Amino acid sequence: MTGASPRGRSVGRPVLVSLAFLAPALVALLVLRLIPAVMAFASSLSHTSLVTGETTFVGLGNYATLFADPTFLQSVRVTLVFSLIVNPLQIAAALALAVLFTRRFAGVRFLRVLVILPIAVPPAVSAAIWSVAYRPDGLLNSVLSVLGVPPQPFLTSPGQALWSLIVLLSWIGVGYWMMFLIAGLQDIPTSLYEAAAIDGASAWARFWHVTLPLLRRPLAFVLVADTVSNFLVFAPVQMLTNGGPQGSTNVTMFDIFTRAYSVGDLNLAQAEVMLLVLLVLAVVIVQFRLLRGRD
Amino acid sequence: MKKSLALVSLLAVLAAGCASGGGGGDSASKTLRFTGPEDPKTFQPVIDGFQAKNPGVKVAYTQIPFDQLNSTLQQRLAAKDDTIDVYTVDQPRVAALATRGFLVDLSDWKDRVKQAALPAQYEVNEHNGKLWSVPVWTSDQFLFYNRTLLKKAGITPPPSDPAKRWTWEQTIEAGKKAQAEGGAQWAFIPEQIEQYYQLQSLAESLGGGSGITGPDMLTPDLTTDGWVKAMTWYRDLFANKLAPRGVGSFQTSPLFSEGKVAFFAGGPWDVGVFSGAKDLDWGVAPYPYFKGGKQVTPTGSWSWGINPASENQQLARKFLEYAALDPEGNLLTTKATTIIPSNRAAFEKYVPTLDALGGDKSKGVGAILTYDADHTAVARPRSVGYIQFEDIMTKAFADIRNGAEPKTRLEQATQEVKTAWAQLR
Amino acid sequence: MSRRLYALLGTIIGLAFALPLLWALSSSLRGGSEIFRHISRLSWETLVPVDPTLGNYASLVTGDFGRAILNSLLVALVTVAVGLLISAAAAFGLSAVRFRGQGALFAIVVLSFLIPFDAIAIPLATLFRDWDLTNTYAGLILPGLGHGLAIFLLRQFFLAIPKDLVEAARIDGLGWFGVFARIYLPLSRPALVSAGLTLFIFQWQSYVWPLLIGTDAAHQLGPIALANMRGQFTIDYGQLFAGSIVLTVIPLLIILRFQRHFTQSIATTGLK
Repeated sequence: MTGASPRGRSVGRPVLVSLAFLAPALVALLVLRLIPAVMAFASSLSHTSLVTGETTFVGLGNYATLFADPTFLQSVRVTLVFSLIVNPLQIAAALALAVLFTRRFAGVRFLRVLVILPIAVPPAVSAAIWSVAYRPDGLLNSVLSVLGVPPQPFLTSPGQALWSLIVLLSWIGVGYWMMFLIAGLQDIPTSLYEAAAIDGASAWARFWHVTLPLLRRPLAFVLVADTVSNFLVFAPVQMLTNGGPQGSTNVTMFDIFTRAYSVGDLNLAQAEVMLLVLLVLAVVIVQFRLLRGRD
Repeated sequence: MKKSLALVSLLAVLAAGCASGGGGGDSASKTLRFTGPEDPKTFQPVIDGFQAKNPGVKVAYTQIPFDQLNSTLQQRLAAKDDTIDVYTVDQPRVAALATRGFLVDLSDWKDRVKQAALPAQYEVNEHNGKLWSVPVWTSDQFLFYNRTLLKKAGITPPPSDPAKRWTWEQTIEAGKKAQAEGGAQWAFIPEQIEQYYQLQSLAESLGGGSGITGPDMLTPDLTTDGWVKAMTWYRDLFANKLAPRGVGSFQTSPLFSEGKVAFFAGGPWDVGVFSGAKDLDWGVAPYPYFKGGKQVTPTGSWSWGINPASENQQLARKFLEYAALDPEGNLLTTKATTIIPSNRAAFEKYVPTLDALGGDKSKGVGAILTYDADHTAVARPRSVGYIQFEDIMTKAFADIRNGAEPKTRLEQATQEVKTAWAQLR
Repeated sequence: MSRRLYALLGTIIGLAFALPLLWALSSSLRGGSEIFRHISRLSWETLVPVDPTLGNYASLVTGDFGRAILNSLLVALVTVAVGLLISAAAAFGLSAVRFRGQGALFAIVVLSFLIPFDAIAIPLATLFRDWDLTNTYAGLILPGLGHGLAIFLLRQFFLAIPKDLVEAARIDGLGWFGVFARIYLPLSRPALVSAGLTLFIFQWQSYVWPLLIGTDAAHQLGPIALANMRGQFTIDYGQLFAGSIVLTVIPLLIILRFQRHFTQSIATTGLK
């Protein structure tokens, strides 16, 4: 961090200053993420015969195989539908909860922690709990029966499984995203609200014209980070539905996990990783463009 | 530069390893590293036994969680990880592991293993005419029944005599009656409710075959009459609410323990589990078959093999010899768990223990075990593509259980298996 | 809306989020076959064990679980300490000054968290094996240090720090490191806490990675010890839930401890 030492008012050499601060992180990202990713890309260009053990270079052959594979194509469809539902839902819920839990009322600190807590629960545990909740003879249906609602099939029905996973994932994630928005809300000066109140703005108008614009940066972070994380979800799928029923929860990341770990076809799995990263990248670029356009 | 440094140090380590291996042999204090999915307590007796016979030798066991075992082993063996000497092998994976060079050839033990092991426990370790692993455990399936529920419904329990084995038709009929008149919540539950291990037997009983055929065992054969009929029967089990949907394999035996199930198809490990359940009155009978079909029972469990990258080959062979071929060692592998030893002599000593485990309740289980091992046990198919096959089948079973049309779903599975196997070549 | 209404709403939502965990807690106090007995019909017994026992917790003590928890804590805390420093410095480099090419560097950071870690874990494990990092704490800690999401998060909050504050400090003769340590870090407590939690959770839940680079008994982590409780044929659910409660209570205590920093901000530190 020697680059940071020159004192005085020289604003000069900002590149060097910046790079000195960035260096450790860049090295870490390079070694721990990008180099393995390049290795993964290289491996996506070859094919290892599991019968003879021979490895041959096949160029884009694995990619061609994937685009001809109905399982992969279905997984992309499922992933897109899943993303379109889960992201707006989670962000809206996280924002609403953040607004609620920045008010002052009795016990707010403790209650806030209860909402954040599920992110810290080990995935194996949330899966164990929710598999019991979603059992046709399980906890949720007994709650529903008290409310007079007939029993639901949940994870056993192709129509409800994805929604059930979305509820579970929101239980895990919403409090986590709320936490970032709360940090952002704290930074909005109360004087702005007071001024708006004096101008006679309604609560809704204050939210719309004061809160949202000033929450832009944390919100941008949550939007991008939540979208990316949801593209990369697979543990609950693996433990609760195994991609079914009838492929209705077979998101691409789970398909990758199956190929890489369960079945052991690493080359094909890495090709699929590359395609998924490209897809996520495209979505994120669009998000950044939109956010910039609004400035 | 860092990499070359690592390479140099690696070479140094290798050199040191060779030197000590050549000079000291196995007698000097050596550590053998053994990996498997069981609780360390399970293997402690056999490890103690081996260490007592080989002073100065230490066996260090590492447990890997069961659902990550195969994938973890696959990655680490592919990377020639020498921190694994001996590992447990899921028997139907022998072919795939051997083909990829993850197992040491043990063909010089062929005759010894053939002589020592139970029938159906030799072939599972062979691939392309060579022997790759040694059988340590095998399994069987029984029909457990809840005595209290059957009594309430006025049903005479199935006899434990293997010659008077019930059919599935009989079982279901009695189960329905127990539901209607005995207060049973469920008529019949197969324990491994979506697993090929359990469900293969249904298709085999109806003459449907294992689902894999061809000279190289790489042709799916899932749309035979037997498979379609068996899967239709299986789907109806859930559609007619005789068995529950949405309950995973590990939650089935608690249902039986809680007294909610009339009939339950489970393994020897359940004898141990149910013996420990309070207020549960149960009995055990032979695993059923379809009327007019073959008597078929699931079998197979774990073998042990040696990692070719291991630097302790001789010691590893000694350990395998003790655990599989020496009846004393083989019996010790079952001392802390309820599973069946593969060694014939150990098996014979083990049978009375299992029979007595649950007092009167488990009576007869030993005779069933002995009969099944010799007459009805059908192992899972030996195919290089078994791993892919099993993964696809698990998903197909789950879908059929949730109501998918059996024939269409089996056709889909056939296509999926074909696509997956095309990738193998 | 009145304060009382907020309190009511907040309580209902908080309880709804806590309910699944309460059920796990009550299950961890039940013996053997009691766990699933009361799920089909709702009654007070669904949440309250009739005959509570600490047996499940007692059996945790006898196994390797305690050791694994300590390992997990060590790995997670070192990751948070070192990782926060690295991430905050990087975020500072990406926000305090402007220069050409910064966008490209930021893009690398973003790109790095688009790559699913579990997918590149296999090639990374190969590298680590070459570097003799199998069965070491370093091997467990390092992957948690390169966390693009933490950098992105901190950068977003650093961007909100007024530039005139920096200008003023620079004119007063404060070096860049001083600006970073004395202005940026104290002003971003809430963001640092969030980023720290992100790093903590990544390690606290790590499961696939430790298996890939080898976990002998001495280096076993909590989630693996938890998964190891599952036998081959049966699961002891009571013990599983007891282990889960332990694995959940530790982050709970940590979040509670850092809770007050959420309410700190630029507005309340009086610097603005």
